[in-house]
Amino acid sequence: MIRYLFTRFLHALFVLWGAFTLSFVLLQVMPGDAVLVKFQDPELGLSPQQIADMRATYGADESAITQYAHVLGRTLHGNLGYSIETGLPVGQMLHAAYPTTLRLAIVSFTGALAFAAICCALAILLSGNPVGRYLAAAIGAIPGITSGIPVFWLEIVAIQLVSFHWKLIPVVGLSGWSAVLLPGLALAIPISAPLAQVFMAAAHRVEALPFIDVLRARGVSPLRILYAHILPNALPPTLTVSGLVFGEILAGAVVTETVFGLDGLGQLAQQAVASQDVAVLQAIILISVSGFVSIGFASEIIQPLLDPRIGRSARQRKY
Amino acid sequence: MKAAITTPAWATLFKTMDYMPLLRHSFCATLAVSALFVGNVGGYTPPLSAAPVQQGRTLLYLEKQAHKSLYPPAGGFYPNGGILAQVTDRLTWQNTQTLRVEPWIATSWQINADNTVYTFTLRPDVTFSDGTPVDAAAVALNFDTYGKGNKALHLPPSEVINNYDHSEVLDPHTVRFYFSKPAPGFLQGTSVIGSGLVSPHLLHKPLEQWGDGRNIIGSGPFVVQDDVPGKSITLRARPDYTWGPPELAPQGPARLDAIRILVVPEDSIRIGAFLSGQADFIREVEAYDEGQITRSGNRLYAPSTRGVNDSVVFRPDNDKVADRRVRLALLRATDREEILRTLFSPHYPLARSILASDTQGFQDHSAELGYDPEQARHLLDEAGWLQHPDGWRYRNGQILSLGIHVSAPHPQSRSMLVLLAQQWRKVGVRLDILTGSPAMVVLDDLDPHTTPLYQAEVGRADPDVLKSAYYPTNRNVLLQKGGQSQHVAHFTDPECNRLLLAVASETDPKRRLELVADVQNAILTNAYSIPIFEEPQVFAGAAHVHDMHFEAVGRPVFYRTWLDQP
Repeated sequence: MIRYLFTRFLHALFVLWGAFTLSFVLLQVMPGDAVLVKFQDPELGLSPQQIADMRATYGADESAITQYAHVLGRTLHGNLGYSIETGLPVGQMLHAAYPTTLRLAIVSFTGALAFAAICCALAILLSGNPVGRYLAAAIGAIPGITSGIPVFWLEIVAIQLVSFHWKLIPVVGLSGWSAVLLPGLALAIPISAPLAQVFMAAAHRVEALPFIDVLRARGVSPLRILYAHILPNALPPTLTVSGLVFGEILAGAVVTETVFGLDGLGQLAQQAVASQDVAVLQAIILISVSGFVSIGFASEIIQPLLDPRIGRSARQRKY
Repeated sequence: MKAAITTPAWATLFKTMDYMPLLRHSFCATLAVSALFVGNVGGYTPPLSAAPVQQGRTLLYLEKQAHKSLYPPAGGFYPNGGILAQVTDRLTWQNTQTLRVEPWIATSWQINADNTVYTFTLRPDVTFSDGTPVDAAAVALNFDTYGKGNKALHLPPSEVINNYDHSEVLDPHTVRFYFSKPAPGFLQGTSVIGSGLVSPHLLHKPLEQWGDGRNIIGSGPFVVQDDVPGKSITLRARPDYTWGPPELAPQGPARLDAIRILVVPEDSIRIGAFLSGQADFIREVEAYDEGQITRSGNRLYAPSTRGVNDSVVFRPDNDKVADRRVRLALLRATDREEILRTLFSPHYPLARSILASDTQGFQDHSAELGYDPEQARHLLDEAGWLQHPDGWRYRNGQILSLGIHVSAPHPQSRSMLVLLAQQWRKVGVRLDILTGSPAMVVLDDLDPHTTPLYQAEVGRADPDVLKSAYYPTNRNVLLQKGGQSQHVAHFTDPECNRLLLAVASETDPKRRLELVADVQNAILTNAYSIPIFEEPQVFAGAAHVHDMHFEAVGRPVFYRTWLDQP
């Protein structure tokens, strides 16, 4: 087991290094750089000589390999560098930005899971009833529809209705959890789609298994069968796709934080892309990749705990 | 990685939304008409309110963009100016009605006959918010930095200060500045946000540290209390402030307790939040949103930014626009009134020269800016660009198509260019509207072969603004040889440059204004520029916001502002 974990850890490090290097190469290929964006701004009215001096002091004209060695060495020492655009240490910017995105991720993931579970429960409960079957089919189609809704549109509509029209919650000037409530729930709807689809498919598979018929024959109530037997057994495959959902949350955070004016990592990423602020962008890429890797890692470890069969079969394969 | 990849999709979605104003033409026209009756056109200063002043409240201000480096010479960027105007004082104050330069931190000044030596006497009681006195040494260090820059600290020189040589401290309250050549624009230059005075401690810090608002120590009525980068900034009033500009008397502390500036980039959210009462004041209201603001009983403010008008300028280094007849033809093919009627409101006056009509030295050239598509066609034929059956014009097999980048800071730039493309199409000229990443835009705009056209505008109330915009070593909007660009092969206009230098150094005020007239003449006679409109900054304030003020180039001043909320 220890050896397995160690191999996985090395694997994760390799993925991190790969993402770091690839992003560096891609940013090098883009025309121009952050120093150019910042100092060639005509509003500053700098002379060509002054701009050349600025470029020299930032080392912007050194060879790509020298820059890469410098950036990699610095990062290995735990120094994420400075943002050229704002002049702040990248570590400080990340420290200020991550809580919002973390809260947004928690609210939207919980919301998505709850939404998926409700869809699933309704679909199962109604499918037993001859009339409800049509309703169940309609509910089964909801994830397909919500996955197609552009998240920025949904959010703008949510703001217009909830905040501007019904005046339930303001969109500006909030902090902490209240700031991510509306954006989190709006983001939850599209990201719940894959969860709900997997959840429903798994629940229908479990429902068709013989032990459910046995439970029914023994007179266990449908509700109890649902929450004590079907849903828990349908949960593991749903959690497996949470890695995918994490990616959707990160991508959604860029749009959501921009629409709602939140100060999270997504907003930071968007600004860093716009100004080609390499240090900031690479730090965000490192964080995102670490998130992906550790969630995949965690779900591999949790799976056997939730479903003993998975651990057994893995062992059987191994020996 | 995922986040980076998704950005283009996101950008496309928002770009699509940019087109919305075009879809709302007829709606806009209605709004524009309704705005006629309520709008305040031109250099508007709201009347002092008669109601009893209420003090000690917090104003919530929604900004479109986050501030960047708060080094005062970078104060031209609207969000920066909006903060620096509250946090810093200047030596002098330019009266927004008369445009005369009045005393502020400097109580008096003497200027020698050839405008090379300026002596300022300072108020004795002024301090920076870190307790350091605003004395002659501090002021000298400020202008040494703004006048010449500080390479070691990456601090660039200010574009409003020309020919600066050195300073001399005569006594703790008297400072003298020396110039290598006459610098008649310097007195007005001491009044602009770009010359905001900051604590000497700050001037020893590198440019990188000027991004954090909390580091900015000025002597203004507000201090920066908190700064969340890219998100919000909180300003708190200084209780011991007693040296406000005389035009805004009484000169005591600010009436607001605090100003909270939140960055809300999405137009619909900013305006929606304002209309639903979640904010007191917002910047950047597009013309098509003006009607919503006034209909709901709120107030619009559209102070002029003066200076060089919002214009489309040519880069004659590109062969296609090297011929004056081609440039003149495109000027004639531009129906500026249709642009204003379709996209803008009465807050956007039609340009009558390259300078705004409320800038010193303005001369009315409307007669030369008329719309005449017939003459345009004739001129293009004469220049050898003949119309082919496909509708476009060609010369030696080359199509007459010209590129221009959308200019994000200017109101409805994309819509305006789309309309311009439609107008030019009628005479057979193709306008290619380009977009790209910020770095690409910067690079393209330095290359006259990619962008023979450029959207230019510079706000400042002094005629020196002409040099800022057109001189090769300044913004160089025409891309003459001798500027930043490595792509310019030959174009230079020595006569125009001579006039620009003369404006920046002519000491006789009357003669200087004549030179300003000559520059306007030279640029329009050569058809280097198609001036479109005088650019205002449009703000909206709730009905309970009183005594709003705007300095000479339209940046908000919250010093006397108060809120009458229960």
